[in-house]
Amino acid sequence: MNSVRTAVLTRPAEWQWHALADDLVVGRGEALRRPDGRIFLSVDAWHDTVFDQLVEAMLAVLPRPLHTVVDEADVDLTAQWRGAGFAVRRREWEHVLPTDPIITGLGAVTPPPGVTMVSADGVRDDLLDELDQAIRDEGCPAMPSDVLTRARGLSRFTAAAHDGRYVGLLRLAPLPRRPRIGLIAVRAGMRRRGIGRALLAEVLTGLHRRGVETASVDVHESNLAALGLFEGVRARRASSNLELELV
Amino acid sequence: MPGSANGIQVEGVVLECLRNATFKVELGNGHTVLAHISGKIRKNYIKILPFDRVLVELTPYDLDRGRIIFRYRN
Repeated sequence: MNSVRTAVLTRPAEWQWHALADDLVVGRGEALRRPDGRIFLSVDAWHDTVFDQLVEAMLAVLPRPLHTVVDEADVDLTAQWRGAGFAVRRREWEHVLPTDPIITGLGAVTPPPGVTMVSADGVRDDLLDELDQAIRDEGCPAMPSDVLTRARGLSRFTAAAHDGRYVGLLRLAPLPRRPRIGLIAVRAGMRRRGIGRALLAEVLTGLHRRGVETASVDVHESNLAALGLFEGVRARRASSNLELELV
Repeated sequence: MPGSANGIQVEGVVLECLRNATFKVELGNGHTVLAHISGKIRKNYIKILPFDRVLVELTPYDLDRGRIIFRYRN
């Protein structure tokens, strides 16, 4: 895989690069702008030299900052991106969550007094929008920019209601093989009361009743509250993704 | 299975997720290869799990290694 080769680069589209050798595409590069405006790169090549060629060509024309995602266990690929000047910006642990209440210990969990759970079938869009804005205004550090706009329709939201308003939400992507928790958030003034745990109990227990054994969630390494919440229900770390950035 | 300007692409089933971000994939012809996830799949946070049906691009230089470039809806 590491024999020295050079390839001829072509650009089939504005943000696509191909590396050709022996009439074969031996490498591909692609850039993608995410809804939050950040540009993410991917490069696949069979040779290190071709990888470097593609990265060099892409960096020459794309505006900074640039980002990419690698599996931390993929040491070689991580080293290649580091060699191109990229540095680790964030690390997210992927956890696999059991749903069985006997394992999670969530079977007897109830919401705190005055708080009720609103199932995905009953959530109101206007109250969800209000909560979304409130959480943004509170500066949730890991809030994806498209938490509701793009996710709505693809995800199911469970909410925690208090005094006629929503104070917490859990977004679940109902993937058939392993549902994924995309976000769990509680308003600043309502934290440390067990609302997050109650949301988790509502969703995981519901999945268990439908025969789903596990769910997954990605958690930023600095989000100690979320790590504590998930590891407290016997979640196991499965992998970690690094987000690399070139400024 | 199609051969193309993009190399040899073969369908397979993921047998096992290995530690170093690679997967053991059984191809339609019974051959087993070690495959990484393509950057495009990773960039889009697509998860690969055992028993997933995937499209693997084999390197023309080593037919025992490949790259998962697509995951089919099972």
